[in-house]
Amino acid sequence: METFNNFLGGTAALFGDPIGVLIFFGGVVGGMLFGAIPGVSMLTLAAILLPFTAHLSAEHGIMLFSVIYCTGVYGGAITAILFNIPGAPENAPTAFDGYPMTQAGKAGKAVGAAVMCSAIGGTVSCVIMMFATAPIASWAISAFGPPEIFALVFFGLAVAASVGAKTFWKGWLSIMAGLMIAVVGLDPVGGIERYNFDMPYLAAGIHFIPTILGFFAVSEIFVQAEKKATGAYKAPKLSVDFPTFKELWLHKIAVVRSIIIGFFCGILPGIGATLAAFMGYNEAARWSKDRINFGKGKIEGVISSETANNSATGAAMIPLLALGLPGGALTAMMVGVFQMHDMEPGPLVFINSPDLVWVVFAAMFFANLSILLVGFLEAKTIVNLLRIPFQFLAPMILLLATVGSYAVRGLVIDVVVMFVAGVAGFFLRRSGYSVAGIVLGLILGKIGEQTFAQAMQMLHFEFSGFLNRPIAFGLLIAGAVTIAGSVYGAFFKKPPAPADSESA
Amino acid sequence: MNIKKTLLGAAIAVTAATFTAGTAMAACATDALPGEMEKPDGFPARALSMIVPYGPAGGSGQVAQAMAEAVSELTGVSINRDHKPGGSGTVGMTAYMATPADGYTVLEHIDDASSAHALDSSRPNPAEALIPLVTSQITFSQIYIRTKEDRYTDWPSFVEWVKAQGGKATIANVSKEGSMERVTMKFITDATGMEIQQISFDKGAPRYGALAGGQVDALFEQPGDVRKFLDSGMFKPILTILKERPDAFSDVPSLTDAGLDFDPLFRFRGFYVKAGTPDDRVKWLQWAFQKAYCGEGYQAYNESKFMNLIDSFRDTDGSKELITNTIAQYRDVYKSMGLEVK
Amino acid sequence: MSKLKFSHYFEVFFWLVLVAVFFGYSFEFNQNIEIYRYGATLWPRVILLLIALAAIGQFLDQRKNGDKASSNTMAAAHEEPDANPEHTGFKWYFSTFVLLAIPFIYMVVPEKIAAMRGIEEAALGQFKLISAAILFVLYLIIAWRNHVGGILALPILFASLLEDMGFYALAPVFIVGVMILMGERRSTRIALITPLIYGVLLAFFVSLLYVGLPTGNISPFYDFGNWLVTLLQ
Repeated sequence: METFNNFLGGTAALFGDPIGVLIFFGGVVGGMLFGAIPGVSMLTLAAILLPFTAHLSAEHGIMLFSVIYCTGVYGGAITAILFNIPGAPENAPTAFDGYPMTQAGKAGKAVGAAVMCSAIGGTVSCVIMMFATAPIASWAISAFGPPEIFALVFFGLAVAASVGAKTFWKGWLSIMAGLMIAVVGLDPVGGIERYNFDMPYLAAGIHFIPTILGFFAVSEIFVQAEKKATGAYKAPKLSVDFPTFKELWLHKIAVVRSIIIGFFCGILPGIGATLAAFMGYNEAARWSKDRINFGKGKIEGVISSETANNSATGAAMIPLLALGLPGGALTAMMVGVFQMHDMEPGPLVFINSPDLVWVVFAAMFFANLSILLVGFLEAKTIVNLLRIPFQFLAPMILLLATVGSYAVRGLVIDVVVMFVAGVAGFFLRRSGYSVAGIVLGLILGKIGEQTFAQAMQMLHFEFSGFLNRPIAFGLLIAGAVTIAGSVYGAFFKKPPAPADSESA
Repeated sequence: MNIKKTLLGAAIAVTAATFTAGTAMAACATDALPGEMEKPDGFPARALSMIVPYGPAGGSGQVAQAMAEAVSELTGVSINRDHKPGGSGTVGMTAYMATPADGYTVLEHIDDASSAHALDSSRPNPAEALIPLVTSQITFSQIYIRTKEDRYTDWPSFVEWVKAQGGKATIANVSKEGSMERVTMKFITDATGMEIQQISFDKGAPRYGALAGGQVDALFEQPGDVRKFLDSGMFKPILTILKERPDAFSDVPSLTDAGLDFDPLFRFRGFYVKAGTPDDRVKWLQWAFQKAYCGEGYQAYNESKFMNLIDSFRDTDGSKELITNTIAQYRDVYKSMGLEVK
Repeated sequence: MSKLKFSHYFEVFFWLVLVAVFFGYSFEFNQNIEIYRYGATLWPRVILLLIALAAIGQFLDQRKNGDKASSNTMAAAHEEPDANPEHTGFKWYFSTFVLLAIPFIYMVVPEKIAAMRGIEEAALGQFKLISAAILFVLYLIIAWRNHVGGILALPILFASLLEDMGFYALAPVFIVGVMILMGERRSTRIALITPLIYGVLLAFFVSLLYVGLPTGNISPFYDFGNWLVTLLQ
């Protein structure tokens, strides 16, 4: 009851303040727009807006970012579906099935499913967040240290390695390549420069945002350009027929499963929504009778991934607000907003400024609901981008991606990295390796190495120390079992019926 | 113990200057400067840009914002901040060194630039390749524990407890080899004879979370960065790494009280322009940044970050002296630590 | 029965060479870290070892099973069909490789030469501009016959010139270049669409959102970039 009253209070404060309402709708539209314009993402918008938040009140600034977070995660799905360009890493699995649907002329169905599922996943996790943040805060801060986070990264990589690539080996090689890219830059313990190849800017390391833009947005343009050059280019078919409620109801189990997976992954600091989306997708495929058609345009793939990543948004606010630990790039920028107003996110925020917390909770709840309303309208307009002739769309997307990658850190090397990743992605697509796996390896690699080093320092360089930390130990075992399972599958199970695989 | 001896000569000047100036805080350092200055040949005719080699949210990003706003308010010239984080500040420095020396681009940097040059002389020396406009923050470090901690409650009991753990006690610190944090910890462990495992966290939030959640036993940090945790009573300082106690921490033992005989290292942040910039432009920039330091907005900001406890101001010559001494000091320490100095 | 193709040999060769190069380079930063006994090299070396094992494992698997997808993964998610034969021959790969190397030559070579010859900082800008012009002509000659390679290399070339020449001067050239490589030949369309894209981008990001894009460091590009920014903001 107290939660409900707090929520009403937050709602009243949100909508009783005209500037707040303006910022709220600005955030809803801005997040969706930047999420849905190919080449830029909600992270670009967040990086651009961060300096401006100094002129807003703390309440408005944090509310704006949380609204952008909710709607941006949804907006990224639109470009993933229409252009094979995920707006953020958490939208990558959405492209696996969403883009084949577009190619088959079913873009409307995929976007419609994304709208519905994003709203459902986001809203449900928002409600859980309101009840759970405070109690979880006190538990997690002492239960989750570096050893646990490392174990979790290990588990996440083990799970992800079996997604998306053609074979067990290619999945692992993709992840390992990503981990290796993450090594470039300073080492996490001594700040020693690694693999700089005499280019001083490489000391900054390779950031995942330009890498994602390159692998997905830029390489997609290269693929289309090659088709243009050889005359094989076909403009995608347009459609705006959205799925009926009945069609979605068929997948209710996938939705519930993804909400649960998304929420639990989202809570974990540093990994959050990306792992959520990958695991949501992976589990949907694992439990499906029709697994072989995943990746070829199954609506269930879109549903499971979009529900999971939006479900993670509410959950990601828990470590952020409760512990001051950001779950991803956008929540990390929220920490920046707090600090610009001379606040530290953490348990203290609940004590010192409960009003702020509840305004943010209310704003996130309504932002998720507004995806339903504004999302459908927006989807209908954005789909029309496909009407622009590709030779005009391409330079626009490439320049937007240039701005998008440059704005995050202000480094030209990031633009170079993005275009190199684009070329690499162009060749990798022919090879059966998983670019999404590389990106996940890159993101988790930095966290993984750092937490491994911290864990080893804490455990005095004795691996047996993990035995005394049940959560970490459990996760390590689970990861090892997952790997063992896929090794077993790779060596001892017969490949699926040859009807579908190409002749050897 | 030979480390300390090699340090003495170089460091004494820094410390002495800090404390003599630190006692007279009432009047601001640059009150004597004129309130206005004519623009030399119309400079600056457009907005300045400020390269900040750190992200917008951390301590360095915030001081850049506060100073940029203060200068804009004073002069009416707007300043675009250009954050180029990465490589512990080296990447922003590289980008800055490639810009033309026309005075339109200024740089914010911290003592890491000095220690980087001390370790590898091919990195730019901030006192020679750059002209310091003002050093606007100088601060000291402290060691913190949780307020609720019951295994130890103050510095002597902490040292005793750490020694009893036989090297298994932990303290959260930042990463970079040869940084101010690492060197200071080396001084402390050598002076007390205790053995403690440092755990490197390069980002603030996880570092503070580790102490709050009991993952580590203590934390090394500057007071301005953990002020919220201090005000809320979650953390408490048990040692101030200064020779004397500042007023705000009058109940926390200083180095002298704890019987630790070494000269403290400081974290300092300042603003620079590239050497080779025309003199009249440098003069104008010096006036603008030094005068802005005493502006109400900037002073309020510094106070909120505990930057008023010791004298945080150095003009161009003072900054050069600070940097040159710091470099000499670090270089001696590195040599005695066996680090390779290039 | 061996089901190996040339591409399989190339794959395992590629991974093993990569591992060897990175392993060799890891000695460059093999320093002790006082508080961490594994140092800066343990983590990358373990990953390299795993890459080598996986590459060999994959090779053995390919020898037995060819290119079949394994049973426990999603079958060939988002895999593209076989590439166009026109763009797979050795000649194509070679000329594409040369095109892709051009931007990296620009990023490394002029500064090295300038350092060796002792060229002053003031003259370095001019020297870089001349190098850029020569390399651009080289790019045009090769890209003339290899459009797909040209479109792959153009964005990297654009990015490598950004720091020195700035976004503002290069973007219009880049837009025109991409359109031509994409097969647009109607000059009126190009003349109309280029300023439209450029204008919309600048209006949105520079005028409205105050994003600082690279202005370049070399005159006259530096002056042009700053002039435009001042005008727009």
